[in-house]
Order: sequence, then C-alpha cells, then structure tokens
Amino acid sequence: MSTAPDEARRAAQEARLEQAWETPRGLRYWSAVNNTEVGRWYTATAFLFFLFAGALALLVRAQLAVPDNDLIPAGLYNQAFTLHGTAMMFLFAVPIFEAVAILILPTMLAARDLPFPCLSAYGYWCFLIGGIFVCGSILFNAAPDAGWFMYPPLTTDPALTGIGADIWLLGLSFIEVASIAAAVELIVGVLKCRPPGMRINTMPLYCWYVLIVGGMILFAFPPLIAGDILFELERLAGWPFFDVSRGGDPVLWQHLFWIFGHPEVYIVFLPSIALLAMIVPTFAQRPIIGYSWIVLAAVGTGFLSFGLWVHHMFTVGLPAISLGFFSAASEAVAIPTGVQIFVFLATMLAGRMTRSVPMLFAAGALAIFIIGGLTGVMVAIAPFDWQAHDSYFVVAHLHYVLIGGMVLPLIAGAYYYFPLVMARKLSDRLGRWVFWLMFLGFNIAFLPMHVTGLRGMPRRVFTYPAGIGWDTLNLVSSIGAAIFAAGVLLFTWDAVWGYRRRPPAPRNPWNAGTLEWLNPLPGPEYGVRSVPAIRSRYPLWDDPDLPRRVDQGLEFLPDAEEGRRETLVTSVLDARPIQCLRVPGNSFLPMIAAALTGAVFILTTFHLYRAGLVLGLAAMAAIILWLWRGTAVIPEKREKDIGQGVALPLYASGIRSVGWWAMFITMTGDMTAFASLVFSYFYFWTIHPVFPPPGPDGLPLGPGLLWPGLAALATAGAWGLMLAARRWSGQGGIAAPRAALAGAALLAAAGALAMLAGPWAEGLDPTSHAYPAAVWVLLIWAALHLALGIVMSLYALARSLAGRLTPEHDIDLHNVVLYWHFAALTGFVTLATVALFPLVG
Amino acid sequence: MRDTSGMTGLWRAGGGLLLLPGCSGIQSALDPAGFEAAELARLFWVMLAAGTIIWLLMLALSLHAARRRARPWSPRAAGRLILWGGAVVPTLLLAVLLVYGLVLMPALRAPGGPLLVEVEAEQFWWRVRYHPPGGAPVVSANALRLPRGERVELRLSARDVIHSFWIPNLAGKMDMIPGRTNRLVLEPRKAGLYRGACAEFCGASHALMAFEVEVMEPADFAAFLAREAAPATAAGPGREAFLKHGCGACHSVRGTSARGVIGPDLTHLGGRRGLGAGILENTAAQRAAFIARVGQIKPAARMPDYAMLPRGELEAIAGWLGDLR
Amino acid sequence: MLIHNRRHADLWTLLAPPAIWALHFLLCYVLGSVACAKAGDPFAAIPLPRLGVGLATLLALALILVAGRQARRHWGFGTADPPHDDPTDDDRQRFLGFATLLLCALSFVAVLFVALPALTIADCR
Repeated sequence: MSTAPDEARRAAQEARLEQAWETPRGLRYWSAVNNTEVGRWYTATAFLFFLFAGALALLVRAQLAVPDNDLIPAGLYNQAFTLHGTAMMFLFAVPIFEAVAILILPTMLAARDLPFPCLSAYGYWCFLIGGIFVCGSILFNAAPDAGWFMYPPLTTDPALTGIGADIWLLGLSFIEVASIAAAVELIVGVLKCRPPGMRINTMPLYCWYVLIVGGMILFAFPPLIAGDILFELERLAGWPFFDVSRGGDPVLWQHLFWIFGHPEVYIVFLPSIALLAMIVPTFAQRPIIGYSWIVLAAVGTGFLSFGLWVHHMFTVGLPAISLGFFSAASEAVAIPTGVQIFVFLATMLAGRMTRSVPMLFAAGALAIFIIGGLTGVMVAIAPFDWQAHDSYFVVAHLHYVLIGGMVLPLIAGAYYYFPLVMARKLSDRLGRWVFWLMFLGFNIAFLPMHVTGLRGMPRRVFTYPAGIGWDTLNLVSSIGAAIFAAGVLLFTWDAVWGYRRRPPAPRNPWNAGTLEWLNPLPGPEYGVRSVPAIRSRYPLWDDPDLPRRVDQGLEFLPDAEEGRRETLVTSVLDARPIQCLRVPGNSFLPMIAAALTGAVFILTTFHLYRAGLVLGLAAMAAIILWLWRGTAVIPEKREKDIGQGVALPLYASGIRSVGWWAMFITMTGDMTAFASLVFSYFYFWTIHPVFPPPGPDGLPLGPGLLWPGLAALATAGAWGLMLAARRWSGQGGIAAPRAALAGAALLAAAGALAMLAGPWAEGLDPTSHAYPAAVWVLLIWAALHLALGIVMSLYALARSLAGRLTPEHDIDLHNVVLYWHFAALTGFVTLATVALFPLVG
Repeated sequence: MRDTSGMTGLWRAGGGLLLLPGCSGIQSALDPAGFEAAELARLFWVMLAAGTIIWLLMLALSLHAARRRARPWSPRAAGRLILWGGAVVPTLLLAVLLVYGLVLMPALRAPGGPLLVEVEAEQFWWRVRYHPPGGAPVVSANALRLPRGERVELRLSARDVIHSFWIPNLAGKMDMIPGRTNRLVLEPRKAGLYRGACAEFCGASHALMAFEVEVMEPADFAAFLAREAAPATAAGPGREAFLKHGCGACHSVRGTSARGVIGPDLTHLGGRRGLGAGILENTAAQRAAFIARVGQIKPAARMPDYAMLPRGELEAIAGWLGDLR
Repeated sequence: MLIHNRRHADLWTLLAPPAIWALHFLLCYVLGSVACAKAGDPFAAIPLPRLGVGLATLLALALILVAGRQARRHWGFGTADPPHDDPTDDDRQRFLGFATLLLCALSFVAVLFVALPALTIADCR
C-alpha cells in the first residue's frame, strides 16, 4: 500500500509532467509540436484530402455513367482524374501512414515523443500548404491534367500543358520533402527511442513495418525529386532532358518516376498491413504466429519492390530480356506478400477469434486484396500486360490492391485505434453498415472494370461511344462508386460527430497486449506516467501488474524535475538506455519555416524567382534559428537520475546522438537523389552512339580537366580541414578547430566556384543538348552541396564562438563532419563522372 | 449528351452481337481475331481459372479461420501452414507461370512478313503508310486494312507526345514514343471489322483517338491497296471550294493541288467508315459538322473551326469528300 | 565479413542477403539493357551478356548460401523453435538468425527467378 507522502510526491511529479508537456490554448495551440497534436492534425488533413479526391472520383464516375456524356468538358475531366490520382497517392496514402505513425508509434514505444518534434511539425505544415496549393488549383481551372504520372513530352511542352504541370511538380516536390522528414523521424524513433529492454526481437511488428517503410521512402522518393528537378529545368529553363530533338529522351522520366512509383505502392500498402499485424493478434487473443516471417516479408518486400519499376513500362518497347528481369522480380514479390496473409490466417487459426468491426474490415480487406494480388500476378506477366496495360483492367487491379490492401485495413485500424485517440469507440452497428456499403459498393464498382478493360476500354478517357459493350458495365461501376461513397460518408459522420454520443472507453478496451494500450483513456498529454522496462512482445498480457507500476511512477523517468520535455534514447539492438533526451517544446518556428519554404515553391511556379530567392533565404534563416535555439543545447548538468538508480547522460554526440542518425539517414536519401542524377547521365550515354557529342569544332564537348581538377583539390582540402577540426576539437582545442572550420568554408567556396567554372569556360550551353544539361545539373548539384557545407561549417563556427559548441559538447561538429563525408563523396563522384568518364567511355 | 451522337452509329451496326454478355466485341481482347491476341486470351483464361480456384480456397480458409473454434490449432501446425501455404506452394505456382510468360514473350515478338506498315501518331490521329514488298509506299490515315493470315510488321512512332497503339482483338498494345520506332507484329486470322484506340493519355482528346481496322482476304487487300495508291478522281464544286479555302495547306488529296502534310491525308476519305479518327460516322452531315465545329467535337485538335464557310460551300466540300473513294 | 564468420547477428547481416539479390538484379538489368541499347539488330543473339547473367547468378547464389550458413549458425541450428521472443541476448541472436535464414531462402528464389529470362530469351527483340 502506498502511503500519504508517496501520494503527495506522486501528485507533484504528475503536476510537473503535466506542466512540461502542456498543450497551449487559444491561438498558441497551433504552435504545438507534440506528436499527439501533430498526429491528429496530420490524420485529419490527410483524411480531408481523401474525401476531396474521392469527390473527384465521383465526378469521374458520373461522367462515365453513360456513353457520350457531356456532364463535364474534357479539360475538367482530365484535371479531375489527374488530381484524383495525385491527391490519393501524395496527399492521402503516404501522409496517412506518416500521420498514423506519428500518432501511435510513440505510445507503442512508451516514448513521450518522437526525437524531432519540430521536424514532424515542419513536415505537417509543409504537407498542409503543399496539399492546398495542389488541390486548390482545380478551382482556378489550372490543375494538372495529364495523369498522375505526368509523362513528357505532353507535360514538358508549355504549349500543350499549362501551369498545372508546374503546380504538380513544385507542389509535390515540396510534399516529398515533408515525407522524407517524416521518414527520418520515424526511423530514428524506431531505432533509438524504444523503451528499455524492448529488444529487436520483442519490438511490435508495427515498428518493423515503420522501419522498413521509412527506409523505402528514403530510397524511393529521392529519384522522383531528382526527376522533378530535371523536369522543372526543362519547363522553366529549356534544358532538354526529355526532348528528343535535342538529345533527350521522354522514357528517362518514366524510369525515374517508376523507380519511385512502384516502391510507393508498397510504401502505402505495408503500413496498412502493419495495422492488421496489430489487430489480428488482439482479436485472436494470442501472440502472432510467424513473427520472423513478417520480418522476412517486410524486409523482402522492401527490397524486391525496387526491382519492379519497369513493369509499368512493359509497353514502352524495351527488349524482351529486360522485361523478363522485371517480370521475374514482380512474380517474386508475390511470395512475401502471400506470406503475410498466411501469417494472419495462421494466427487466427491458432487463436480464439472474437467478432468485431476491425476484424470485419480486416477480413473484407483480405478478400479484396487477394483478388488484387492475383490480378497483379497476371499483369506482372509481360505479354498479358500488353493487353491489360492502360486499360480499365489495370484501373480495377490497382483499386483492388489499394482499397483492399490499404484503405480497408486503414479503416480497420481506424475502428481499432479510435478509442486510443478519442477515448471513445466508434459504433459497432454503424460500423457493420459502413463495412457492407463499402465492401459491396467497391465490388460493384470495380469487379466489372476488369471486363470493361479486357473489352478494350482504355483508361483516362473522358467519354466513350455507345455500343462497343462498355455501356452497362460503366453504369454498374458508377452505381457501385456511389454506394461506396455512402459508406465513406457514414464512416465520416460517425468519426466526426457520432462517436460523441458513445460512452467513454475503458482502459485497454480490446484487451490488447501491446504498449500503446498501456495508458488510461484519454491519455495524458505527457504520454506514459513512467517508462516501463519491457521483457516480452505483449507486455500487457504477460505482465498484468505493469499498468500499476507505470501509473505509480515506479518505472523510469517518472518526473520532470527541471520542467523540460524528456524522453529516453536506447541502443539499436537491445534497447539499453543510453541517454535522456531533451526534446524542444512548442514553437511557431516550424510553421513559419514551412510557410516560407512553401512560398519559395509557389513563387517559383509563377516564375517569381527573385522573390522566391529572398524568401528562400528567409526560410533558411528560420530553420537555422530553430536549430540554434532547440538543438544541441548544453544541459545544466551532465547526468540525470531516471529512477531505479539509473543515471543517464543528458548530452551525447557522434553516433550516440539522435541528430547524427538523422543526418546519416537524411544523407542516405540525398545520395539516392544524387545517384538518380548520375543514372540519368549514364542513361544518356546508353542511348547516344557518340557520347559526349561533338561540339562545333568536331571535338567532344566537356567541362575539361583543369577546373574539375582544381575543384577536386579544393573539395578534398575542405573535407580534410573538417576532419581536422573534429580531431583538434576532440583533443580539447578551441582556436585550431575554429580556424579549420573557417578554412574549410573558404576552400569549399573555391571548390564550388571551380566546379561551375569548368562548363562555363568551355562554353557548354545547357539548352543545346541533353549532354551539357546533364553535366551542368550534376555540377550544380555538387556545388550546392558544397554551398550547404559552407553554411554548416560557419554554423558550427558560430556555435563555437557563442559557446554552444565546446570540445566536450560537440554534437554540431560531429553532424557537420558527417554531412561533409557525403558532400565530398558527391563532389568526387560528380567530377569523376563529368571529367574522367568521357576519357574512358 | 455530347453532340457526337453519330459516333455511336458506326459501331451500333454490329451491336446486336455485343448485347450478349461476355467477351465478344470489336475492341475486345477476349474475342481474339489474331495469333497474338489468341495466345494472350488463352493465357488469360488459364490464369483466371487458376486465380479463381486460389481465391476460393483462400476465402474458404479465411472464413474457417474467422470462426471461433473450441480447439485452436497448435502453433507448430499454424507455422507449417505459413511455410507450405504462404511460401512453398506460391513459389512453385509462380515459377510455372513465370516460365510460361517468358517462353511466350519471344514467340509473340517473332519477325514479321514482307508487308510493312508505318503508323505515326499525333494529337489526335494516325498517319498510315503501307510499304508493300516491291511497291511504292501508299499513304492513308486513321484506318488500317490488313490481309488475313499474313504476319504484318508495324513500325510505330509518334510525332508530338506519347501515344499507344492498341487493337485488342489482334494483339497487345505498343507505345508510340517520339524519337523511337517500335515494332509490333500482327497476324490477323479472322476477317472482319475491328476498332483500335490510343491507349496512352495524350491530351484533351485522348478519348477521341480511335481508328478502324479491317482484316480482309489477301486478294481483297491487294485490290484495296491498288485503289488506295491511285489518285483521287472525283471532281465538282466541292473540290473547287476545298482548294479555294486553303484546305490543301494542311491536307493532301492526291490528284489535286492539295499537298498539305499537317493533317490527315484525305485522298480516299470516302472509302473510310469513320471520320475524325474513328469518332464519327462518315456521312455528309457529319463531315460538314466536323469541318464547321471541330473544336467542339474534338477539343484541342489542331484544325480550326470553319464555321464561317457559306452553307453551300460547306455542304459541297462535305459531299465531295464523300466521293473520294 | 558481413556474411561469413560474423560473431553476432545484427541489422546489417539481416539486410545482406536481399542486398545480394539487389546487386544481382541491378547487374542483370544493366547487362541486358546496355547490350541491347548498343546492339543494332534486335534479332542478333547476345551470348555474352547472357553468359554474364549466368555467372553473376552462380556467384549470387553462392554468396547467399554462405550467408545462409552463417544465419543458421546464428539461429543455433534450429535447436530452439520460434518464436524467439525472450528478452535475452541468445533469443535476439536466434531471432535475427532465423529471419536472416528466411531472407536467404527468399533471396535465393528471387535470384533464380531473375536469372530465368536469360535462359529463355536469346536476343534483343
């Protein structure tokens, strides 16, 4: 029994925690950065975009309900289907993964927050601004109108496509940045912010999926960003990457787009399956059977999904042997997908199932997804795809995959996790109605489309003639779509208004075994009362006493003595506690930085470059201010007692700091974008018999050897000085590292200028041919990395001068040096590619 | 309703057949009239049968699993289900299917016969150029006639944006990409009328970019080719009006001074069943409507509206074009 | 070495077998597409790239087998059954070994699949 002094001490602890994690009220509410608030905004916003994109789908179905319909003109129809696909993919499917993960991952890890709350908030505001910009364009009849994969030359020629293409490219690039930010946050969250003792083999499966999907985002989104850069350079500056008449090739875009586009399908599919991996064990009331198999499936799918992209290009006319490789990988990826389904079935068979709405949706999802998977196996056979490709068969297939594999599991997850977020359950009775409306409506809408497609109806047609055999099928599809929409609306009503009438949910309402159900409902703003040590995969089942110990603050970190927001950092494999991390509190800076970043993209869309540059500098200033104030803060003491006699450092640098991991992960994505640009260069080499092409004097064009050589020397010098700075700082030096930082910045400036001087001196005109354009874009990319390196080195220098970076507290220096490794590598590879490869190629 | 009701009439003629549910149709991959399409239809039926069986088995297993049972499976048995049901059996099935597809692919891309047809797409119509072995090229547009039983090689390209060439009854589709020439070999086996369409989104009127396909007996095809190669012979006031209003700047009518190469060749327009790239029935009234209001009938088409033409001249041109057989 | 004689399993040993698949896949794709991009006649045989794919396949399969042997050792040669969910160093090691072994099997099959086209398709048609 606890005594009165105990009670008082506990109440005081709770009050301090509450104060540290308090959500601001009034207008300042929007300065919140805590994962609970940001996660809710994120989820609600993504769901709103889902409704918007769904409304567009209804418009499309209304137009196609009868042949020769003139309900909406071709132009608006083309905008509607383009925006439907774009919004569903970029503004719903990927963001909702990030939203849900930001919302539930910390609770699953018993973490108070994710390691970079401001980054999450920044990502959210980017997403909101970019999404409104892209979607709002349809109100001005200026939306993109060439399909969500934007094939050039239709989209690169300003005479054929208007500003909609720029809105698509710039608006979505901006959102892709937000996705990468979220990926960094989630990967570090899973690897470093688990509760003590939650080893890699006892981590909830959802975390495995988040880890894999985060990694996939890092390798999938950057190629699209690289493609967007090439694309915008062609549209805005006339650099002919995709223009055949000047040595470009429109197929290059298809490669870059689908290197992103196919993993994207798994990026949206895996997180939803991850929800099922949490739901199924709960309703089978037993641990999952085949935990390792799920890990196999998630990792295997993650890898294989990068070998499938050409199966979207089977009709491009590539050699059969190339198609064969991708066809084979596309068949192979069905294996891990099948494994996941059987893991769920095995768990159900070995458990005692209870009926519930989440399971109803899970079962319906499975029935639909299996059809989508089977048609996927069909279209992965290249010859069959020659018939199915770009027909309604593919429309049916992709909706079976995405609605069966993503939307319905997500709704299952919504029913399951609703009490966790809103402290009340959704209605079971309405839930069954929602399910049957959606399930039947979906099948009525999309099953006939397989036939429509094989009977020859191409996708993306705004009308069709009567009498070819498509009339009845299309009418049925349109009716089905309306029924499906009714289900969505009913769900929306219940999730927005209806639930308020339901009684409060009890603690752990489904009797689940994982940590997200640890807290009483509604959960306090600080998350867990104390962070428990974990000893099994289903701690709530295996350790019934756990909630009591947590509630009484008997586990780790039960207090916020200094009034700061704190969470634990643990080691990657075994989750040994290594640091007590202080995370920044509420701030408007992420919102301001996002608004400024968004303004840069929007102004560029309208060719207002000078204003864009000014705001770009302002955005950078805002981000630097946020980093300056909120990161690598030197604590008032070295260590902190987190309870049970464990003292953890409050400051850790190098590989022990979360910032180092974030930098490493971000730069991995950055290198992928760079690799895509290098790929483009070599792609041009494969399609041109003579590469580099000869200039006016008959000699091959090129940036020469002199300037690239000087640039390489300067880059190496700058990099060497950065290494020296870290070394000298580690030895306790103050002045020497400062001098090295300044010298590195100077050398980097020289290197960047020398990089650009090469093609400048040789008179390479980027608008004349794809070759000079590719050389320029690589060198500009490398030079920008050096420029950013200058900013970082000077930042570290300023921190040192301000006393915020000392030999003992050197997070910034380690992270900047880590950046420099990648920047130097980018520089060397670029210079070797543009200056040395032509000598051997 | 759109004001293109005529576009339906062309195909309604054969519509009786299409009321039957199922697979038949002039643009149906499941109603094959050529070697390639027949192979692919068979592939589809095989996969559909296997897929249906698998789906039913999975559904039965799921329903069984969802029931509350008194004695749950042992974890060991459930683990074996994952191994065999989830991994081993699918791997074997997929391997068989993959080999089927990989063996089929080169067979479907075997070399073509002596007849070569160039098809070049642009927004939103098709240039067609027959290259009969030993003969001079024959230029046509928006219609493709093929001899039954011969392997014909198509050379596909595009002038402005990406299009895709698809005659579902004969074969799978092949993209038409600026800067590339793709090969597609067709081997029609059933004489008849079919419909092809652009399958890659190519702009505002992508939906209105189709063409008629006729598979003919070889002798009929030879006769057609000879007819198509000859210059136009029809004369009349329509011809004078056509030339006076400058139509020849964009269109060719061989045998007249109209030598334009921007728009479709009209030398034997009267011999085609469709109009405007397979979207209207080829009647005098539709021809007149198309000339006067093309911007409305076919959004973003490059041809300007000729609504200002005097009624009489418009009808004369429309009539004369119909005489070009 | 990552796939041989490594005392402890970790995330890198887990990712090694599918990474071998990825490299093999990339090599096959590059060999095939560069050979065909530079070839003039689509019906001319391309024996050398096909041979290259064959050799790469043998090498990849061998590497995956080596990785699989190590994974089996980490797993403890199957002396304990899954689920390997105890909060101990041993079970963590066994879990990683078993998952890696499964990934080896998948990568093995996927490498075989990807090699098949070079067996059935002899030219650039």
